[in-house]
Amino acid sequence: MNAKVETRKFGAENGTFGQGVRFERIRRITGYLVGTLDRFNDAKRAEEACRVKHGLGRNA
Amino acid sequence: MPCILVRYGVKGSHQKCGAQRDAVLRGVGSVSSVSVPSNEYCDFISGFLMFSNIVKRDGRVVRYDADKIIEAVRKAMCAEGHGTQEDAERVSRRVEAELLKEYPDADPTVEQIQDVVEKALMHEGFEDVAKSYILYRASRTRTREMKTHLMRVFDELTLADAIDSDMKRDNANVDGDTAMGMMLKYGSEGAKDYNEKYLLTPQQAKAHREGDIHIHDFDFYALTTTCCQIDLIKLFNGGFSTGHGYLREPNDIRSYCALACIAVQSNQNDQHGGQSIVNFDYGLAPGVVKTYRKCVVSNLLKALELLAPGVRISKDDVKAAVDEISSRVGCGPQLAGSEAYDSAELEWLGTLTDSDTALRVHNFAVSHSREETDSATYQAMEALIHNLNTMHSRAGAQTPFSSVNYGMDTSPEGRMVVRNMLLATERGLGQGEIPIFPIQIFRVKSGVNYNEGDPNFDLFQLACRVSSKRLFPNFSFIDAPFNLQYYKPGHPETEIAYMGCRTRVMGNVHDRTREIAPGRGNLSFTSINLPRLAIEAKGDEDRFFDGLQYLMEMVAQQLDDRFEIQARKRVRNFPFLMGQGVWIDSESLGWNDEIREVIKHGTLSVGFIGLAETLKALYGRHHAESEEAQAKGLEIVGRMRKFLDDRSKEKGMNYTLLATPAEGLSGRFIKMDKERYGIIPGITDKEFYTNSFHVPVNFRISAFDKIRIEAPYHALTNAGHISYVELDGDTAHNPKAFEAIIRAMHDAGVGYGSVNHPVDRDPVCGYTGVIGDVCPRCGRREGEAIDPERFEELRRIYPNMPCLIK
Repeated sequence: MNAKVETRKFGAENGTFGQGVRFERIRRITGYLVGTLDRFNDAKRAEEACRVKHGLGRNA
Repeated sequence: MPCILVRYGVKGSHQKCGAQRDAVLRGVGSVSSVSVPSNEYCDFISGFLMFSNIVKRDGRVVRYDADKIIEAVRKAMCAEGHGTQEDAERVSRRVEAELLKEYPDADPTVEQIQDVVEKALMHEGFEDVAKSYILYRASRTRTREMKTHLMRVFDELTLADAIDSDMKRDNANVDGDTAMGMMLKYGSEGAKDYNEKYLLTPQQAKAHREGDIHIHDFDFYALTTTCCQIDLIKLFNGGFSTGHGYLREPNDIRSYCALACIAVQSNQNDQHGGQSIVNFDYGLAPGVVKTYRKCVVSNLLKALELLAPGVRISKDDVKAAVDEISSRVGCGPQLAGSEAYDSAELEWLGTLTDSDTALRVHNFAVSHSREETDSATYQAMEALIHNLNTMHSRAGAQTPFSSVNYGMDTSPEGRMVVRNMLLATERGLGQGEIPIFPIQIFRVKSGVNYNEGDPNFDLFQLACRVSSKRLFPNFSFIDAPFNLQYYKPGHPETEIAYMGCRTRVMGNVHDRTREIAPGRGNLSFTSINLPRLAIEAKGDEDRFFDGLQYLMEMVAQQLDDRFEIQARKRVRNFPFLMGQGVWIDSESLGWNDEIREVIKHGTLSVGFIGLAETLKALYGRHHAESEEAQAKGLEIVGRMRKFLDDRSKEKGMNYTLLATPAEGLSGRFIKMDKERYGIIPGITDKEFYTNSFHVPVNFRISAFDKIRIEAPYHALTNAGHISYVELDGDTAHNPKAFEAIIRAMHDAGVGYGSVNHPVDRDPVCGYTGVIGDVCPRCGRREGEAIDPERFEELRRIYPNMPCLIK
C-alpha cells in the first residue's frame, strides 16, 4: 500500500470475497494524509491512538 | 626457531583440520594455538629492517611482530592441509624481504603486508594456500564491515519487513518494502553515515547523534534544498523543459493539468521536500479560457452547418474569424460574456446569414461551450488528482509530495477550476477512495470568500462540505495579521501559500521588495529537543534559557554550514528547479553559475518539538492546563523567534522559526530521553513528544479552547505551523458545525488549520465512513471474507461498489 489508496480488485477464493483484506484507515499526521496506519512509525501510531475528540462546547 | 607450534599441516590430518578450516573460512574467532613469540627473533629481524612498526586498519601504529605473519601463513597452510612449520617460516622471510624492497621508507599497512603474503605464497609454490588465504582475508574483511554501524543498518533494511522495522516506516509516504524504496534507503543510510563523519563538526555530530537537536533530511545534507513554491503562470509561459524533454505552452485545460503534474514530478527530483503550487486557480484559469475559445470555434461551426446550411465554411475559417475578431476588439470569447467580442462576433455572423439565424448560432455556441468547458475542466481536475496519486518520483519510491493553494481567484475561469477541483475531490478516486494528494489548501479571506455576499463565498462553503467528507482541503487564513501584512489586493503573489506539511515562506529580510510566495522555499531546518532542556534545567528557568540560547546558536551555525554547501551548487545540479527558472531569479543565472545569491531568498529554519512536555517539566503544568503556563509557553517560543529575527537582521538572511512537523522525530527524542532520565510522569511516560506547540492529543478540551490556546503561536512561528481539531464522525458531517470550527480558526488568528475526523473504508464493499470492528455496510470483520451472494445483493443497492473478479 502506497501513499495513494489501493485500488486493486478482489478475487474470489473458495467462493468467498475479501479474505485477508483489511480496512483502510485514513489519518492525517503532519499535514499529509496516509492511507493506512501500517505505514506510520511506532511513535505516530501511538500518538494517533491517544488522540481524543474535541467537543464544540465553549468549555471543555 | 625458538617458536613452539602445534603443527597441523601434515598429511593425513585433514579431519582434525576440518573445524579449523571452517572457522578460518567463516572468518570467525581466532584459531587457538600455542605460540610463544620470541623477542630475540624480533630484535634480530628488526635489526635488518628499515621499518619496525606497522599501521593497523584503524590508523594506530604498533610494533612489527614477525610471528604474526608466520602464524597467519601457518593457519592458512593448515586449513589447506599443505605445508609445514618450516614452510611457513620460509614464506614469512620472503614476505619480510619483499616488504623491505617495496616500502623502504614507510611503515607498511596491514593491507599491504597481506598483499605481499599472497604473492609470497604463490612464489613459494603454495597457490592453493594463497587461494585459501585470499578467501580468509575476504571473510575477515566482511566480518569487520558487518561490525560497522552502517552495515548493521543495511542488514536491518535487507532482512526486516517494514511492518517490523521502525526505520523502514520513518516516512509514511515512502514504501520501504519495494526495491526502489530499499535502494533509496540504502543511499539514505550511507549518506547519513558519511555526512555525520565528514561534514558535521564534532560538536554538531554529537548533538545530532545524542538527540539534543535533529537535523532534518540529514541524508540530503550535501545535496539540495527542501522545497519550493511553484508559480504555474511563469512556468507555462512559453513552455518548459523537464530535463528529459521540452513541452510546448499548453493550449487546453486538460494539458494545463497534465503539465502541472509533470512540473510537480520534475521538481520533486531536484529537492528533498515537497512542491506547492501557489496559484492553482490563477495559474489554470488561462487553460479554461483557451478551452472555452476552442469550444466556441467548434460550436459555431456545428451551429452554422445545421442552422445555416447554405454557408460553406471550414473549421479553419471559423478559427481565423474568431482570432481576427479577438485581436481587433482586444479580447476573445469570454465565459462571463464580453460585449465587445459578442457584438463583433454577431456582426461577422450577420455577414454569413440573416440576423435572426446569426443570433441563434451565437447563443448555441455560448451555451454549449460553457457546458463543454465545465465538463472538460471537471475531467481535467479528476485526471490531475488521479495522476498526483499514482505518478512516481524519486526512482519510484514515492508519489510526489504535492500541495495546491487556491480560493482567491474570482474570475469565472478561476472559479470553474476550484469548483471542479472540489467536486472531483468529493467524488474521490476510481472506487471512491480518498485522494491523498495533492494536499489542497483553501485560502480564506474576508471580502473574497469568508462572508455571505463575498464573490467566492459559495466556494468557501463547498470547501467546508468537501473537507468534512474528504479531509481536504485544509484552510489558510490571509486575514491573520502576520499573513495580512504582506497581502496587496490584485497581487496574487502576495497571498500566503503553505506547503502541505505546514512550511510557510513569505517575509524576506534578504530583499524587502520581494516579500512574495512564488519561487521561494525552505533551504533546510533543524529542530531542538525542548523537553530535554527543561528536564536538565530541573526547574531552574535561567538554566533552561541558557541551554536554549546555547542550542539556538549551535543550530544557527549548523544551518549556516549547510547553507555554505548548498550555496556552492550550480544551476546544472538542479536542471528543473534552477534550469527552468522555477526558483526566484534563477532565470538570470547561467548553467554553470553558483546558486548562492538566489537561494538567499529561501529560509533557514529552527524548529522545536514538545512545548507541552517542556512546560510540564519546568512548571508542572502545560499551556492548556493553566494561563501562567500559556504565558510561559509564549515567552519560550517568543524568545526563540526573537533570536532568529535578530540574526536575520544581522546577517541579511531569512532565519525563521518552525513548528516542526516531526514526521520521523516524534518518537526519536523521547526514546533517548526515556533511556537517559527514565519515566517521568507527564513527560516521558509515552511513545512520542507532543508536536510543536500543540495541546497534548490526549488532553480533554473543547475545539474552541484548543484553537484559542494554539492561535498565538501561529503568529510566532513564521516558518510554518498548523492546528488540528479532532471531531467525531457525526459532528464533522454536520456542515454548520464544521464551518463553525473554520470560522473560529479565522477569527482567532490561526494561519493554517484543518479538521481531522475518522475516515475508514472497506475496500471490499467500498463503504467509507467510520468503521469500528464491523463494516456497517457488508457486515464483515477486518480480514474476513464475504459471501458472494451477499455481495451481489449489496451491489444491487449500491451500484458504485468495487468490482470483483470471478
